[in-house]
Amino acid sequence: MEWSIGDDEKRYTTDMVDVGGNLEMTFLKSDEEIISIPNISISRDSKSDRLWINIMGKSQLAHVVKVKDSWWIHLNGRIHVVKSHEIGSAKSKHNEGSLVAPMPGTIIEILVKEGQKVRQGQTLMVMEAMKMEHKIQSPKDGEVSLISNKVGQRVDMGAILVEITE
Amino acid sequence: MIPNWMQNSPTPFSSILVANRGEIAVRIIHAAKEAGLRGIAVYSDSDINSLHAEIADESIHLPGKTLSETYLNIEAIISAAKSSGAEAVHPGYGFLSERANFARKVSDAGLVWIGPSPESIEVMGDKISARKKMIDFGVPIIPGEELVITNSQNYMEPLAAAAARVGYPLLLKASAGGGGKGMRAVYEPKLLKNQYEAASREAAAAFGDGTVYVERLLSKSRHIEIQVLCDKHGNSIHLNERDCSLQRRHQKVIEETPCLILSDELRQSMGKSAIIAAKSVNYIGAGTVEFLLSTKGEFFFLEMNTRLQVEHPITELVTGIDIVQKQFEIAAGMELGIIQEEININGHSIEARIYAENPSNGFLPATGILSKWDTPSSPGVRIDSGFREGDKITVDFDPMLAKLIVHSSSREAAIRRLDTALSDFIALGVITNIGFLKDVINDNAFSNGMVTTDFLDNAPDELFSEAAIDPSHLIAIASSAQKLGLDKINYDQKNYVLSDDYNGHGSDPFRTLSRNFP
Repeated sequence: MEWSIGDDEKRYTTDMVDVGGNLEMTFLKSDEEIISIPNISISRDSKSDRLWINIMGKSQLAHVVKVKDSWWIHLNGRIHVVKSHEIGSAKSKHNEGSLVAPMPGTIIEILVKEGQKVRQGQTLMVMEAMKMEHKIQSPKDGEVSLISNKVGQRVDMGAILVEITE
Repeated sequence: MIPNWMQNSPTPFSSILVANRGEIAVRIIHAAKEAGLRGIAVYSDSDINSLHAEIADESIHLPGKTLSETYLNIEAIISAAKSSGAEAVHPGYGFLSERANFARKVSDAGLVWIGPSPESIEVMGDKISARKKMIDFGVPIIPGEELVITNSQNYMEPLAAAAARVGYPLLLKASAGGGGKGMRAVYEPKLLKNQYEAASREAAAAFGDGTVYVERLLSKSRHIEIQVLCDKHGNSIHLNERDCSLQRRHQKVIEETPCLILSDELRQSMGKSAIIAAKSVNYIGAGTVEFLLSTKGEFFFLEMNTRLQVEHPITELVTGIDIVQKQFEIAAGMELGIIQEEININGHSIEARIYAENPSNGFLPATGILSKWDTPSSPGVRIDSGFREGDKITVDFDPMLAKLIVHSSSREAAIRRLDTALSDFIALGVITNIGFLKDVINDNAFSNGMVTTDFLDNAPDELFSEAAIDPSHLIAIASSAQKLGLDKINYDQKNYVLSDDYNGHGSDPFRTLSRNFP
């Protein structure tokens, strides 16, 4: 299992070893690089959605819940999302030229055609969610090679909207 | 049954239908129950299991898929009121709350309307007529003009001419807009066309009216609004100001009262203007007059919201007046029973709006299931929310999950209380702005009370990024949770784990647990 934190694509591997009922972190690696770590151990709580993290002898309660492949963690007044990945799985789901829906919503306007040349920053389409408009802009100069949807169509977050080839 | 407190009023009622959903429906239904009134909810298909429908004394289903078939369906809501035996209708905010036609039809159906007259709503609901009224009554207004665009082919010429007369930078506002919808800032002439098209499209989608108003944009100003209460006997008071300058795309994020920089003289002067504005339309009920306060201390009328505001709780905490209860009393024809001199400012209150959105990704709305939802509770902390753990957050409605409201003796203490409450706010499964709110209130601009309406537009990127944390802590927790199979433990097993070290005195609350105390 590999892990990443939030939107950061950096992958980590670790091992937690059972020592007298607690789990102790033995190492932390990112891209084969060993990261120096303090003494960290994890102990259970009476509730199954909580854990105690003990760092250098200091304990803190963490609230945890798993949604799909991610662990949502509330720790020290902040909320974090840690994603799990199969070891060696591709870092990004789509190739660089595809633009995915940044949110679930409805496509209300398409401003380009397939085959059209576009500039970086050019607005390609307009989406609407929760009554607010969001522009989908080209990340680079190139040509529109694919438009996957029509005006009025509802799309999920992460759905491919447009592909741009250089 | 008419509650005792309303017995001698001219237009008493025993039940209220709330024509709304979410936190405000919950707030009003609670208030109705407290007042000894029957609270009736309406709900659409997607709200079938929602909190407001659950807590109501009775809930009426509104069939249909779209908003215009459900929460915006005047006929369906009035017939729900009739069939449930409701005697009064409270519109909440948004939806039909500022539709004069709805107010009229509610009254025509023989129901008590908890709000101002249709005529008041009409005048204030149209920015042009509201502006004219303010000019007539001597309330200061911002330079600007109306643009009625009927021929969509040839709108650029009159638009550009009006924009040039008003002067840049300017704001384009859809006449029937509000809540940041159908409103765009234009900083230079070449951006006018694009921004106009976006504004009119947004307004048409949200309100069904594409008329646009061009207005000078006052930079570094504050959004200060005055809460007013007017009864049917000619008594009017104001409940001081709310500073709602902290906005994102013209949508309020944090509101507070009192405003740090408002002198008592200016407060009274704005209060007086607000009452004049309300009286100019013979206003009845609770309303809010919004002003822009310039850096020079001049104030200009923006608009009057002829309904309950989202941020009304901070005023309630500081003045001790329950605004929703006052709305009930005024609708029943009772006198305010309180005079201006009795309105005090007790301490400081701040509201933070918890939204399902991602600040590090342009505030895009987020969806998901509130897999864990544990809200803070301690003295001086109030949560108004329409959600509970397990609820699904969809794109169908506004992304506000909750209002976190704190009250304390001073502004500094209120900020610390809000900071602590945000830290204790556990919302897992849906991305929220909680961390962002923490960063904002800890920013020097906010702690010094220097936030103006353009603050977030000009704030450094760091404010919107996630707080740094040692990755080893998070990886250790996630990896252990996975290893321990915490996601596979279902509720039965959870209880089993609990009862394991709880030696079976479940039925007797006075027995101690079999624990080894140190």
